Amino acid sequence: MLTLTVLYDPDCGLCRRSHEWLAEQAKLIELTFVPCQSEEARKRYPQLNHDLTKQDLTVVSDDGAVYFGPKAWLMVLWSLARYREWSYRLATPELLPTTKRVVSAISQNRYQISRATGLTR
Amino acid sequence: MTIVVTTYLVYLAISIALTVWVAHTLHKNGRIFLVDVFHGNDALADSVNHLLVVGFYLINLGYVSLALKLGYVINNTQEGIEALSVKIGMVLIVLGGMHFFNLFVFSRMRRRSNRNNNQQPPVGPDAFTTVQQEA
Repeated sequence: MLTLTVLYDPDCGLCRRSHEWLAEQAKLIELTFVPCQSEEARKRYPQLNHDLTKQDLTVVSDDGAVYFGPKAWLMVLWSLARYREWSYRLATPELLPTTKRVVSAISQNRYQISRATGLTR
Repeated sequence: MTIVVTTYLVYLAISIALTVWVAHTLHKNGRIFLVDVFHGNDALADSVNHLLVVGFYLINLGYVSLALKLGYVINNTQEGIEALSVKIGMVLIVLGGMHFFNLFVFSRMRRRSNRNNNQQPPVGPDAFTTVQQEA
């Protein structure tokens, strides 16, 4: 695996801010950002369920492995040089349920969080 | 030469010899760890190794000189040897603590570097999809 494609939600301020932050980080694996449900996303992945990608963060590796929701977050973390260790820590059986709960809560409320923190357009 | 001065001199001689011995051991054996941590970059490993040993010397010799003063009067050889034993014991424990701390630092550096080389993703994929290669 050499690159990960991140299908992010372009309508959410938090996601756009995260995108900016990720772009600055040192990476062990290259990240490509494609807005979800965009023309480019459909062209790249003709068989992917693009309605689902709007619901939660989706990451696709160059060999076609799809990671959805909390797993996608962990994969993004894994691609960063400074946080690779954390991705393993958060994915341990003891922490994974909590990770999933917290990440899902953030994902489901991303528009409210964006509004509350003034990250909306 | 009074008994106190003799005690001090013997204390200094033993403490410094011990510090040099432990530092030398650390320097010799730590190098292998560091070369592994820095993926065979010998120059960087030697440099970090040297810096660690300098810190080790500074802390230990600093402690040895701070702990030199006895603070009470020694009347005979027996009391001198007892005082010496207490002092050397403290130096040995500090050296041991420092040595294990160094080992801890080495092993943590090594684990961290191995982690970053780990190509195995933390989680398995949810599904597979076909990727349309850009023309």
